[in-house]
Amino acid sequence: MILTLWLAAATAAAQDFEVKTHTLENGMKILVQEDYSIPNLALYIFYRIGSRNERPGTTGLSHYFEHMMFNGAKKYGPGEFDRVMEGAGGSNNAYTNRDLTVYQDWFPVSALELIFDLEADRIRDLRFDPKIIESERGVVANERRLGVDNNNFGLLSEQLWATAFAAHSYQWPVVGWMVDIENWSLDDLKQHFRMGYSPSNATMVVVGAVSAERIFELARQYLEPIPSHEPPPQVTTQEPEQLGERRVEVRKLAQLPLLMIAHRVPPSRHADTYPLQLLSAVLFRGQSSRMYQRLVDKDQLALFVQGGSSFSFDPTLFTIVSRPRPEVSAPAVEKAVYEELQRIQDQPVSDQEVQKAKNILLADFYRLMKTINGKANAIGTYEVFFGDYQKLFRAAQDLEKVSPQDIQRVARAYFHSKNRTVATLIPEKEQAQQREGGTQ
Amino acid sequence: MKRNSCPYRPWIGWAILCTAMVAVQASSQLSLPPQERHQLPNGMTLILMEQHELPIVSLNFVIRAGSITDPVGKEGVASLTAGLLRQGTESRSADQISAQLDFIGAQFSVSAGLESTQGSAEFLSKDVTAGLGLLADILRHPSFPPEEVNKRIQQRIGGIQSAKEMPGAVMGRYFYSFLYGRHPYHRPVGGDENSLAAIQRQDVLDFYRHHYRPANTILAVAGDFDSRQMKTLLQARFGSWSGGKPAKAAVAKKPRVKGRRLLLVDKPDSTQTFFTIGNIGVHRRHPDRVALRVVNTLFGGRFTSMLNSRLRVESGLTYGASSWFDNYLQPGAFRIYTYTPTETTEEAIDMALDILRNLHEKGVDEELLTSAKNYIKGQYPPSIETSDQLARLLTELEFYGLDRNEVDQFYSKVDALTVEQAAEVIRRHFPLEDLVFTVIGKADEIEGVVKKYSEKVERKSISETGF
Repeated sequence: MILTLWLAAATAAAQDFEVKTHTLENGMKILVQEDYSIPNLALYIFYRIGSRNERPGTTGLSHYFEHMMFNGAKKYGPGEFDRVMEGAGGSNNAYTNRDLTVYQDWFPVSALELIFDLEADRIRDLRFDPKIIESERGVVANERRLGVDNNNFGLLSEQLWATAFAAHSYQWPVVGWMVDIENWSLDDLKQHFRMGYSPSNATMVVVGAVSAERIFELARQYLEPIPSHEPPPQVTTQEPEQLGERRVEVRKLAQLPLLMIAHRVPPSRHADTYPLQLLSAVLFRGQSSRMYQRLVDKDQLALFVQGGSSFSFDPTLFTIVSRPRPEVSAPAVEKAVYEELQRIQDQPVSDQEVQKAKNILLADFYRLMKTINGKANAIGTYEVFFGDYQKLFRAAQDLEKVSPQDIQRVARAYFHSKNRTVATLIPEKEQAQQREGGTQ
Repeated sequence: MKRNSCPYRPWIGWAILCTAMVAVQASSQLSLPPQERHQLPNGMTLILMEQHELPIVSLNFVIRAGSITDPVGKEGVASLTAGLLRQGTESRSADQISAQLDFIGAQFSVSAGLESTQGSAEFLSKDVTAGLGLLADILRHPSFPPEEVNKRIQQRIGGIQSAKEMPGAVMGRYFYSFLYGRHPYHRPVGGDENSLAAIQRQDVLDFYRHHYRPANTILAVAGDFDSRQMKTLLQARFGSWSGGKPAKAAVAKKPRVKGRRLLLVDKPDSTQTFFTIGNIGVHRRHPDRVALRVVNTLFGGRFTSMLNSRLRVESGLTYGASSWFDNYLQPGAFRIYTYTPTETTEEAIDMALDILRNLHEKGVDEELLTSAKNYIKGQYPPSIETSDQLARLLTELEFYGLDRNEVDQFYSKVDALTVEQAAEVIRRHFPLEDLVFTVIGKADEIEGVVKKYSEKVERKSISETGF
């Protein structure tokens, strides 16, 4: 699952959302925000390891490992992690993307100490049971079938990234190639655990109805004794400069064509992130956005159009996805997209449009602050991608400084054909009708 | 991701309330914050609940009319009407409405269900006057411009084609159509390729004029406002809305389907088989509703449920298996849902049926029951955490004729369930022999397999129009 880039802005003073921090001796940093609105907690652990840290032959291992983290450790054996947590009123999940593996627990205050015990057990003493490794391999293969083989968006997106990156590890899918899912070994898993799961490679965020002091105390008791080791080796590969448009086609049974257009953009820490967020809002947010107006409403070429990028450590893709309407070809949609991208380069966006984009992002920020879960995810996401959670609460000021000229400049810098990769799904319909025979 | 993004259907409407409370033990009772309920002279119901944690105001409204009142052959009218509300009013064009909503960072959505049309809007508190003005205009004075009507119809037809690429997205429509036969619940809320093409602008106008009336409308507002000022604002915006109360469309109860029936939908490029097994379940106000929620949590309502434990965790046959009961004024469906590779279709369906049989034969013990109770109570507060969740809860309670006891007595009702009562709930509400199946997959490869579950097998192609 790819972490969606949400766009934050804030006028609220940081003290409205005070965060207390503490770093354990083994290097794990802990961030806590007290919130007593409900008697519950959201606890996130962000590990700085994702599919970018993998190698050919074991693609998808980070995501598979995420699954294995639920399959038994020393104190809590196979199935116990979930059984014990749910029995105490908690629930959990996790997600993996190209950069991170993130674990999430949601539970009532009464289960707090138990959660620390469960998390410490699996970080310290994960068990690798060969039988479970095999059944979980089946689960992940099914996840891939669902998300890629039987989902044309997933299928085309996979081809897009594989085409856009020739050198960098962003080229393979987070879930991994099917043949790699079938072939990774117990040793691969153990090596992955050693590489990615040092406490010093993790950041914990807790938001909810308990004092920061109590969280720090439990962390010292349960997590501080876990020894640290080497973090994952740096990903040194850099994608060489792109020198021309790349195109890829997928032909298969499908009801309608599908179009994805990607342009390479810099990593999150780059100063252009904020102008790009505003550009994205101008183009894609709401029915008054430029792309919706042009493609869906006025020219009626597409069923929908969306665009954006995710936070990332390395240069990534800003992707535009559109589904042509019946009887409309993908090239017709593509042409209209380019005309809109050209328009924003030729003429600065109006002050009114920029203000609208800023207002949308400010409202987004407050919506994110509505839940303890949203806050925990946002604080952690900013901490790991920007190196400073306070960027979350300063985002409004940072966005406010962006001018229409900045937006025009980033549009010119990134949205040109040399920097572009296009993936098109072309339906093969006739074949479908031949195979289908009559109904009974 | 560890779990399917929708491992089980949240029990919308069961959600209850609590907020701004200090930490309490999970076992102690939550209670709904204070609310004010008003009825305007024109019959419109208003419910207000102040929540000052963030500078946000959330609104939720319900019109007491949904797709079951669509004209026959023109399914999708209620849904289309809802979608067209924002596409132009007597004084604003569609573009103006979009521009104004987006400029204040508002969220706005409306959609029809079987029996009601539900909408939500959210504004920053500083924009609430402008936002309410827009909302009132959209609800009271939509103009349904002809070109917008045609646009939306074409978009929706394309949308159905697009959805048919993903069996999970259309499974519910096939299952309801097959399960409910001629009962009004069988009709697809959003219509199908043919019924949408048959809709005229006049159908939309008729639907709007007949059903969008103040006496048919519930509006709840939760968030950062002063109740007295909000009441004045709402009276100014909605007090002059006129229109009598339309006759209610009564729907008969559909009895459980006897015996076994199976619908096989052919999708030749599928590498997985998606299946639903179920029958008619219970209505929203059923006295067993809390007990049923506890039992279904154990059967198919959480990660360690019986279904997910065996079909996913122990065997790796699927990425997620779940069960749930749909709630409407009349009994909705009970469904088991999962998917598996084409070649393990038989193994997975056999296993699902075996788990259901085990539920009946072994029931649940004290330890499991305690675990489910803790889980439900522990997961409950985040479902009623935000102003939009609260506003939605308020309109739903009002629509179903329920009151704050749904919240205030929820924990005690959960706690009161005994092992014996759970066994009775299983016997009464979980079908065992009478089962309706819908299977979507590569028919040529699985037709032989699925015939063993039912003597009656109906086969369709997913590329045929309709469901």
